[in-house]
Amino acid sequence: MAAVTANARGVVTDPAGVSPRDSRPPAPGAGGRSAESWKGHIIRELKHRDLSQHAMFQDLIRFYTQLLEKTSLTKGLLSSSARRPPAGSAPLSSLLQQSIQLKKTTGELAYQVVELQQQIKIKDSVLEEQHARLLQERRCLSRVSDAHQELRAQVEQVQGQNTALKVEYDALLERQRAAEAKLRQETVRGEELLAKVMKRKNQAAARMNSHNERRSRAREATLQAAARSKVNLDRSAVHPLSSTSPSSGFSNSSSAPSSRSTSPKNEKRDASMERKPMRLVRSASVTSPRILTSIKELFEKRRGHSVCSQEEDLVSPVRICVSARVPARALQVLDAHEQDINAVRFSSSSDLLATGGTDKVIKLWEVRAGLLTHRGTLDGSTEGITCIEFDPMGFRILAASYSKAAMLWQLGDSVPKVTLTGHSRKVTAARFSSILHQVVTGSADGSIRLWDLRRAACLQSRNVAKYCSDLVCSENCIISGHYDGQIRVWDSRAASCVQVLPAQGKVTSLDLSSDHRQLLSCCRDDCLQLFDLRRWSNERVTFRADGFKCGSDSTKAVISPDCCYLAAGSADGAVYIWNVSTGKLETRLPDKHSSSISAVSWSLSGEYFVSVDKSKRAVLWSDM
Amino acid sequence: IMADDKDVLRDVWFGRIPTCFTLNQDEVTEREAEAYYLLLPRVSYLTLVTDKVKKHFLKVMRTEDVEEMWFEYEGTPLKWHYPIGVLFDLHASNSVLPWSITVHFKNFPDRDLLHCPSSSVIEAHFMSSIKEADALKHKSQVVNDMQKKDHKQLWMGLQNDKFDQFWAMNRKLMEYPTEEGGFRYIPFRIYQAMSDRPFIQKLFRPVSPEGNAYTLGDLLKEMYPAAITNDGEQKRYQVVIHGIEPLLETPLQWLSEHLSHPDNFLHICVVPTPSD
Repeated sequence: MAAVTANARGVVTDPAGVSPRDSRPPAPGAGGRSAESWKGHIIRELKHRDLSQHAMFQDLIRFYTQLLEKTSLTKGLLSSSARRPPAGSAPLSSLLQQSIQLKKTTGELAYQVVELQQQIKIKDSVLEEQHARLLQERRCLSRVSDAHQELRAQVEQVQGQNTALKVEYDALLERQRAAEAKLRQETVRGEELLAKVMKRKNQAAARMNSHNERRSRAREATLQAAARSKVNLDRSAVHPLSSTSPSSGFSNSSSAPSSRSTSPKNEKRDASMERKPMRLVRSASVTSPRILTSIKELFEKRRGHSVCSQEEDLVSPVRICVSARVPARALQVLDAHEQDINAVRFSSSSDLLATGGTDKVIKLWEVRAGLLTHRGTLDGSTEGITCIEFDPMGFRILAASYSKAAMLWQLGDSVPKVTLTGHSRKVTAARFSSILHQVVTGSADGSIRLWDLRRAACLQSRNVAKYCSDLVCSENCIISGHYDGQIRVWDSRAASCVQVLPAQGKVTSLDLSSDHRQLLSCCRDDCLQLFDLRRWSNERVTFRADGFKCGSDSTKAVISPDCCYLAAGSADGAVYIWNVSTGKLETRLPDKHSSSISAVSWSLSGEYFVSVDKSKRAVLWSDM
Repeated sequence: IMADDKDVLRDVWFGRIPTCFTLNQDEVTEREAEAYYLLLPRVSYLTLVTDKVKKHFLKVMRTEDVEEMWFEYEGTPLKWHYPIGVLFDLHASNSVLPWSITVHFKNFPDRDLLHCPSSSVIEAHFMSSIKEADALKHKSQVVNDMQKKDHKQLWMGLQNDKFDQFWAMNRKLMEYPTEEGGFRYIPFRIYQAMSDRPFIQKLFRPVSPEGNAYTLGDLLKEMYPAAITNDGEQKRYQVVIHGIEPLLETPLQWLSEHLSHPDNFLHICVVPTPSD
């Protein structure tokens, strides 16, 4: 048997050659063995097998493998190195010794070589790594320098652009400087021109004022002389002049006093005046009714002709009220409209009254003998009426309405002749301009428009962007009142705002005195303000009264035709009348209206006064 | 007891054979080839664990002289498709250790050996063995219920020598209904050292019709009566499994469960008792 047997018990030498069968089975076979003895046998045998076949050789084989690796390495080295020639005659033993020594050294060297090779390998790998890093860094550097170059180019480009811009900017600056210099020059010239214009205007105004003053003084003097002569006549002879024809040529009002009207009515009035001389204390002339009657007759006659040439239009009569009478008594109270009455206006001849209301119609009333008689209705408006005005001749009526339009009627026709549309909100005011065939309207849309009646076209529109509540027209200017508490004066020729007069709160209405010298404004803070237009200044007189309360945003106040009184209706239904010269309340007329008074109107004759309110009612007042 | 069973499984799995590989003298080499020593796993296959051997000898050879590697022991070409343990027990169980195997790189004996161009061939052979064994044990039910990855787990367990990975799956193949007392048939193969017949494989149940468990002795009596030594006779044969001789009264079912190779077969080698 060989040194080691695979299936043997693992004893290295078993010269006895005892087979497993011989040695083992007898023990279990001896009897009394457990059911699991076969398993124990297997476990034991397996352990034994592993001991002899596995454990014994495990280390040996490992070492061998390592040695094998080493020697193969060494061999590789040796085979490559040059072989030394044999020593020659040296004794064999020493050669052997040397050989052993050499082998030993070789082994050591080989080991060192291995170690060194290992180190070389490590260094190589480190070097390689560093090379790779270097390469990477170089690449990075080149990238960065590229980027740098690019950025530099960009910088240069931007600098170039900047220089170009700077040049451009300098040129512009130069141009601006030139333009500014020019502007300064122009401004100076403009100022000079303006000063010149103002000077001329002031001169003209002064001339006009003195002229007017002279004229009115002369007229007054004439009237007083006439009155005196009349009174004398009346007293001396009652009847002899009755045959005088009324058609003896009254071409204008200034000749009125010379009319020897001898109508029974006049007789009667004269008589009554004589009975009540106390009434005449304030009255400058007792003849005024008579004068006005003659005027009326004159115009009735004209109306009868029904031909109104342009010539006649141009020669508008100058109507002067010598004195107005302070109303004291309600002559008539009537429900004039179906709904609120917003506007009321006497015609210039004082015998016709127009009222307009929310019921969309304008009603015409004849004023005769202290009574209002309904004479006609003008319809055609699709919305409520806000403002009414007669033309100076009394043949046409201009009205503004909620329907964003203004309308013009001929007195004879019930449908409007012209409708002016263009405003974007309700029209609050419509007035005849001082220029023939032109009217001016103001609207809640904040614009003021100038219209040509012949073409029914808008000539001009001025936008204030502030609610315009009312406006009036003077010779050369348009004056508008606004909700922003400002009264603006416009040059009707230049279309520019020449002055702003601050008022107190929302302006609800404006009125111009008959001599165009004074402007009345009614404000929402329950006061009236009177401006002197001749002075072109902010000076004003303010009128207030206990109990007077401005009832709405469109309450209308008026100046009496003789410019001595101011009148306005209050929210409490009473009419308040102030004396301009004293600045005090002259009288208060309560009890006739049961709701807020929206508008009042004073007849140009000074004889009648009408107030209208929010509950359909109109009241005719007089001093008697 | 169960711990013991587990130890048995481990010992079977980790069984190693010290082997010395020497290059065939006829091979053309550039210089002398050293012998190569290796501990071969008994349960694995030769071509699966000899990459290092091949590498070692290729160092001294020219590539044009190299053909498919094959092994030979004392004139017998070694079949790679038998487990290594079987080859050793069958051919060299009583020889001197380490087991000396000669390595050849030419003259492949096509008549005796199967070609093994890659490990996928080994895998296919291994899996087919498992399937065959399960067909005997469970009518293929268990192996067919497994997924592809479960099959892969068995193979990878063997290839990478992972005992736990292999047995986590192989456990299923070793189950059987308790009332039956064992598998349907025992997958076994009996190899004879001195015969040209490859092996004996027949149907054999683990339990007798009367309900008695069959033993290794019962199997041999049926399959190879000559292997059993009768009373008074000189022992002529050794019955070797995994390098040991289990007692004949060992229950066959238990042997099948614990001493089977990873291919699920119980490989039994009958070798002549060595004479002095």
